[in-house]
Amino acid sequence: MESATSVSTQTRARFFVLKIFIICIFCFLTINLFLLQIIRGGEFKKMSKTVSHREISIPTQRGEIYDRSFDIPLATNLETFSISVIPGQIPGEIPVFFEKLARVLNIDVSQIHSRVPLRAYTLYQPIEIATGVSIEKISQIAEHIEEFPGVTWNANLKRVYLETGSLSHVIGYVGNIDESELELKYAPGQYDRNSIVGKTGLEKQYDSILRGKNGIRYSLVDVYERRIDAQAEEQPPELGMHIVLTIDRRIQLLGEKALGPQNGAVVVMKPDTGEIVSLVSTPSFNSNLFLNKDYYDKLRLDPDNPLYNRSISPFPPASSFKMIMATAVAQEEVFPVDKTVFCSGELRVGNRVFHCWKKSGHGALDLIGGIANSCNVYFQTMGLKYLGVENIVTYAHEYGLGEITGIDLPDEKSGFVPTPEWKEKTENTPWVGGDTVNFSIGQGYVTATPLQMANVVAMIANEGTTYVPRLLKEVRDPKTGKVESVTERKVLRKNERISADTFHIVQRGMRAVVETGTARYVLTTKAVDVAGKTGTSELASDKSNFTHEWFCGYAPYSDDSDAERMVVIVFVEGVPKNEWWSPRIANYIFHGIYTGKTFEEVEREFGILYPGKAGTDE
Amino acid sequence: MKKGSIFSIDLAIVIATLVLMLVGILFILSSNTDADGHMRDDEFIKQIIWAIFGIPILFFFAFFNYQRLRDISLILYIVFILLLVITAVIGKKVNNARSWIGIGGFGIQASEFAKLSTILLLGEYLVRFKNRIHELLFFIAGFLICMLPMGLVLTQPDMGTALVFLPVFFVMTWIAGARRRHIFFIVISGFLMITISMIPEFQKFFLKTKLPVLNILTSFDYIFYVIGIISLIGALAFTGYYFLRDRIFYWICYASGVLFSSFLGSFFVRKVFSDYSTPKIRLIIFLDPTIDAKGSGWHIINSVLAVGSGGLFGKGFLEGTQSKLKYVPEQSTDFIFSIISEELGFLGGIIILSSFLVILLRSVRILTHTTDQYAHFIGAGIIGMLLYHLVINIGMTMGIMPITGIPLFFVSYGGSSLLTGLISIGIILNIYFRRYS
Repeated sequence: MESATSVSTQTRARFFVLKIFIICIFCFLTINLFLLQIIRGGEFKKMSKTVSHREISIPTQRGEIYDRSFDIPLATNLETFSISVIPGQIPGEIPVFFEKLARVLNIDVSQIHSRVPLRAYTLYQPIEIATGVSIEKISQIAEHIEEFPGVTWNANLKRVYLETGSLSHVIGYVGNIDESELELKYAPGQYDRNSIVGKTGLEKQYDSILRGKNGIRYSLVDVYERRIDAQAEEQPPELGMHIVLTIDRRIQLLGEKALGPQNGAVVVMKPDTGEIVSLVSTPSFNSNLFLNKDYYDKLRLDPDNPLYNRSISPFPPASSFKMIMATAVAQEEVFPVDKTVFCSGELRVGNRVFHCWKKSGHGALDLIGGIANSCNVYFQTMGLKYLGVENIVTYAHEYGLGEITGIDLPDEKSGFVPTPEWKEKTENTPWVGGDTVNFSIGQGYVTATPLQMANVVAMIANEGTTYVPRLLKEVRDPKTGKVESVTERKVLRKNERISADTFHIVQRGMRAVVETGTARYVLTTKAVDVAGKTGTSELASDKSNFTHEWFCGYAPYSDDSDAERMVVIVFVEGVPKNEWWSPRIANYIFHGIYTGKTFEEVEREFGILYPGKAGTDE
Repeated sequence: MKKGSIFSIDLAIVIATLVLMLVGILFILSSNTDADGHMRDDEFIKQIIWAIFGIPILFFFAFFNYQRLRDISLILYIVFILLLVITAVIGKKVNNARSWIGIGGFGIQASEFAKLSTILLLGEYLVRFKNRIHELLFFIAGFLICMLPMGLVLTQPDMGTALVFLPVFFVMTWIAGARRRHIFFIVISGFLMITISMIPEFQKFFLKTKLPVLNILTSFDYIFYVIGIISLIGALAFTGYYFLRDRIFYWICYASGVLFSSFLGSFFVRKVFSDYSTPKIRLIIFLDPTIDAKGSGWHIINSVLAVGSGGLFGKGFLEGTQSKLKYVPEQSTDFIFSIISEELGFLGGIIILSSFLVILLRSVRILTHTTDQYAHFIGAGIIGMLLYHLVINIGMTMGIMPITGIPLFFVSYGGSSLLTGLISIGIILNIYFRRYS
């Protein structure tokens, strides 16, 4: 009965070990607790008690874009927000809180209850409860955020473009900021990772004016997210400014419809200020659909390249370059203005033969006749024999070719004015007479943008001065509509070399184009006296039946007319030869501008421009 | 001392138990309350009902002769094994573990009671085979008694609760006179088994690369080669020991056995817990909470923050910020110690710890004062169980133990765990009551 009377020594020893083990465990736990609560307690206390500064962003609104009449916006915002709640952060009775939230949001409380069921009340993730919430409601909540703990929102800025045609090229579109833009622009409170920025066009150019600045509401909150300072410091949002363009919606539409299904560009400019009244490039696109990946891919792969703004892209100026040639001839006095050159229909230079566009020849022509009939032989002879390539280069530069005009649009191209040095350097062959012959009629290496050609015409019309072309007329306050700043006209170049007499000669020549020359059968408007120059450039040999066509003109011709002077440039790409599309289109535009008629009204008068096409947009 | 007198109960244990229950109810109330003082739940009322229901049960187990438990231990064991099987098939899922069976609105966690029934049966087994428990065969047979419920709980899967059978087994067999080397065989094998089975997760989260050499341990392609080599070494060592009787061969054989079982076991573990399953990830997160700082790691980080910010005296009852803002999960059950430490501070923690210390040390004292072996064994089992829960649960809230989701006895919300604890205390008191019989 050993076990009944005493516990064996082994068992006793083992219970002793167990006792020691228990005490060790307790020491271990107590020491750990001591380390955590007493030694590091202060550190943890600070972490848990932190009174934190909260910055709540009060959203702003992007400025709208208007045409010069400042009536209906061209670009506006459909700014909507989605609202979420974090149920775990909501203090007190959650259903009561939802009642309040539903009242503020003006939605049915059952909508919130269906999104946030009872079992989600302890969740710590945001749950979206409403979408399409207006900015006013968000501001209301943001300003009283301490009454709405656990409520968050996301802005879904939707820029809406009300004119989806050719103005897309001018206005551009907005999108999410990308890495490179962020690197360039990052500024706290201004641009951050969530910013939406203008990607192209005026949206990009005037992003800093349009975007405004989000407001910030600083407050001190305790760990319960309760505000503990009576007066929150607030930096109110700065609304984005409205911008008013020099564009005249009516003339823009006129140009767009007149260009119709053609690929091309129309520039209408006020020569005495540089204001762009219409800047059309076709085909265009719908900026509203840009977020749609398929749509963007379709545009990108379209052989007609709708993303390309033709009005600021270079093309061979062709015969419209003869305005510059004529200036050089008259100003340099290398060849008497009234002396004639005989055009037999071709010009031999060494063993090469250059044909005039009129195979039968123009016969004897003086300078005015040369301009009016756009005689290649006349200007080729001038270039080759009397002016020389250096003079042509000089006058091309005088007119601003080869340099950007500085219009307030991103991505303007400069075009190109070749020189013999350039050719030798890049092509490793010398500049030959044939190059000068081509240069003289605006072919070969020389290129110019429709906008540059508008400036060329403006210089002729203004007799020496050009102004920086611009699209921004004024900036207006979004609340009051008050004009904040007006863009002043800025001289681009003031010509010293070319005399008024020279310009008069060129003007007379351009008037002769319309009265007796190449444009006389198609430029028939009686609304205004038009002066201008046609241009036709040959395409690559496989498209020899097609040409790029220009018409560069202005009206009224005479200085004593009351009508406001306008420069109109029409450029069309790849049209059938000898159909005179450009002056024809220009005819409709001039007539529309000076009679105040819409394109449809002009068509009723002049006949349908594009028969067989129901609409003119596609 | 007169037999049957109310004064022959161990008051210290009773008072410590009541203190723990009282603190538990108060802090279940605290966890039911939100930052603005609104009651969000009524768990504390349920817990009061459980406590009122449980105290008579405690006294019932304190006064009827525990020796009669020996007769029904096998039946109890079988009943709870069956209940575990039923739970596995039709049980209710709570927190991803199928650990509940319910009859109407009343649900129990069979695994809680299965711990006790296993202790009772193992105690009976040890009494019968006490003199032979140092033999390997009898040691293994005893281990199987624990393995059966452990395996069933593991399939729920509730790793935290399943592992309690190990300390229970170790403490009981240790007191019964099992050999150290047998116990350590299981401890080392278990540790190695878990380590090997965690290789895929270690590679992903810590090494950030795959070491091809580790494929030998994890790929099914090499399993037979590895087993073959280990067996061969073991067999050679065994032969050497048999003929030469050199101790070195014995230990080589022992080591091969450890490797063999841990290697095979690791494949079993990976079968039960697929790679990157919750229990395995929890172990990884325990080693580095920042790996999942917003998920399970978040629980550790916030629990530690709650405990740490309590300081010496705490933030005051109902004033805890971390817990009231629901940064601490499972506040009324697994993480109740976090709230206690946050709101009562180091003093609160000491109250809990010293209450447990009283219960455990008094229990050991009671056992050394009785000569009954069955009392020794079941008492030791109860001590092992209480100790395991205490270390794992409190360690978890302090971030020094992995999150395993087991309750703190007497304190955490939950009827099954409270009743198991109270019955255990009842049995200890019973042993005290009959210590001279």
